[in-house]
Amino acid sequence: MNITKDWRTFKAVFLRNLKLYTSYRAWIIATVIWPLPLLAVNIYQYMAFGTAADVSDTLKPYGGIGMIVVGTVVYLLYNRLLWGTGVSIQSERWMGTIEVLFLTPTNKMIVLIASGLSSLIEASWWIFSIFFLGWAIFGVQPSITSWPAVFTCVISTMAALLSVGVFFAGFFVLTRAADQLASGLQAPIRFFSGVAFPVSALPQMLQCISYLIPVTYGISALRKCVLLSGDFGSIALDIAPLWFMTMIFLIVGQITLRIVERQTKKKGTLYLF
Amino acid sequence: MPARVIETQNLTKIFEKKAKTEGGGLRRLYKRIRPKKEQIVAVDHINFYINEGELFGLLGPNGAGKTTTIKLLCTLLIPDEGTAIVNGFDVVKRPEEVQKCIGVVTGGERGLYWRLTGRENLWFFSQLYNVPEKVAKERIDKLLKLVELEERADEQVEKYSRGMKQRLHVVRGLVNDPPILLLDEPTLGLDPASARVIRDFIKEELQAKQKKTILHTTHYMEEADQLCDRIAIIDYGKIIALDTPENLKKMIQKTDIVEIKVSNLRQEDEEKIGAIEGVKKSVVAFTDATVGEATIKIHAEKAEEIIPLTTEFLIKSGARILMLEQTKPTLEDVFISLTGRKLRD
Repeated sequence: MNITKDWRTFKAVFLRNLKLYTSYRAWIIATVIWPLPLLAVNIYQYMAFGTAADVSDTLKPYGGIGMIVVGTVVYLLYNRLLWGTGVSIQSERWMGTIEVLFLTPTNKMIVLIASGLSSLIEASWWIFSIFFLGWAIFGVQPSITSWPAVFTCVISTMAALLSVGVFFAGFFVLTRAADQLASGLQAPIRFFSGVAFPVSALPQMLQCISYLIPVTYGISALRKCVLLSGDFGSIALDIAPLWFMTMIFLIVGQITLRIVERQTKKKGTLYLF
Repeated sequence: MPARVIETQNLTKIFEKKAKTEGGGLRRLYKRIRPKKEQIVAVDHINFYINEGELFGLLGPNGAGKTTTIKLLCTLLIPDEGTAIVNGFDVVKRPEEVQKCIGVVTGGERGLYWRLTGRENLWFFSQLYNVPEKVAKERIDKLLKLVELEERADEQVEKYSRGMKQRLHVVRGLVNDPPILLLDEPTLGLDPASARVIRDFIKEELQAKQKKTILHTTHYMEEADQLCDRIAIIDYGKIIALDTPENLKKMIQKTDIVEIKVSNLRQEDEEKIGAIEGVKKSVVAFTDATVGEATIKIHAEKAEEIIPLTTEFLIKSGARILMLEQTKPTLEDVFISLTGRKLRD
């Protein structure tokens, strides 16, 4: 491992992505607009039924709207990091630069991580705007007692979601269907991770699937910290699986990426769309 | 004795391709789901070496295996058989070491970030090659000046002309100051003036001044003839001849070459020309098949014997002779004498 070399790679990829992103004005507009209706759809869906208390006992502790705000934030983070990290190598293919990238003696994991983190620039706006709207329009009042716990939740969730991106990057390169696969994953992840409802509302069998998805733990931990005055003790059972999954996804992702790189170089499909 | 910087031994690459689906109904559907694979030998046990500071050409028609050879040498492909050593490193066992000491230049529109400026593109790649910031900045300024792009360096690449993009491609391959350059059809699709700029840069700057070792692939015979110290002619993945341009042309020194430009030539006359007494090889290239406009190249032992016979045949068949001349052998004639086809067939 060469720290100077990896830092140069990281900085170059991060700044390149930033420049590419800001060179498309439409992207900036889309970033501003996109998350807002997504939040509103979920909230008005509930409001149509009445207050959280009227709907179900499972919603009571969260106060309904706050639960949706946190769920939407984590889901958007997942979405952004999957595209930013997982699809980053495939998007080099779309830009016609994948071969010149693979010609350089760089650590591809650094390229993935830098791409993922650069995508957080967009995501940070989404997080801010959703929390702001939740507070200003829908009156969500956070109940935080431990800021370190909130910080730990956010970092752990981001690390786990970044690792999901790393995990999928290899598959996206191999299948050459990043667009279709990433889009195909959106609805199931949204459903199973309980973006707009607590996972406990799902039938037991479906909950088993939910607990295999890091997004579920991220949402659960953040809801506890931000809405229910949770501290480290109350989020430990969410954070531990998140870190475990992060390790597994990173290791498997790195191995997959190496195998896929070898496979594509063997088959000669690296440059194919 | 100069050091061998690149050396291949029995280098082979085989690709699998889906076989054509025949038949209909369920059978066709089944074959579409589980298609048969057929193998294509893109590079077939090739052996060559390149000495330090040499400009070595790989000349062949489209699909001959030139790009595949470059991709094998630069670690973008893994060979199925044989070995390739670049700067002392095996391309399969030590790919990262190989990547550090080579610069690769491809032709075409790909390989650059169009929404970044020329300078940003070069800076990005310099960082991936771990070039220190200060060195990178100085080198980028120098490279941009060398290819006369300094005034447009801060414009987005999408606003560049084809020739400017190609010049940027060339200097992108130089940001890490590699001792070895692999140039894959660097003048492909360029107008004659832009192509000349690139050719001069390769010969005068990269080889003569910077003493780089260069592997240059092309299907332009004049380019190979003008630039390369030695040339390997490649066809269907095999090297069919390898020598200096002069020695290659000497191979057919005892052959007379006659070039005839005609109109009103019928396609069925192509075979008949080859059957004329005294003709060793003949190739007809139609420039406009609808009016029968074509160039006929004939290889013969004695031009004076075949010229009357050929002109008589052409006149009888209704063709109109526009020009007839006896020419000196070119690398294309070497290719014709070896394969019976033109380079651009």
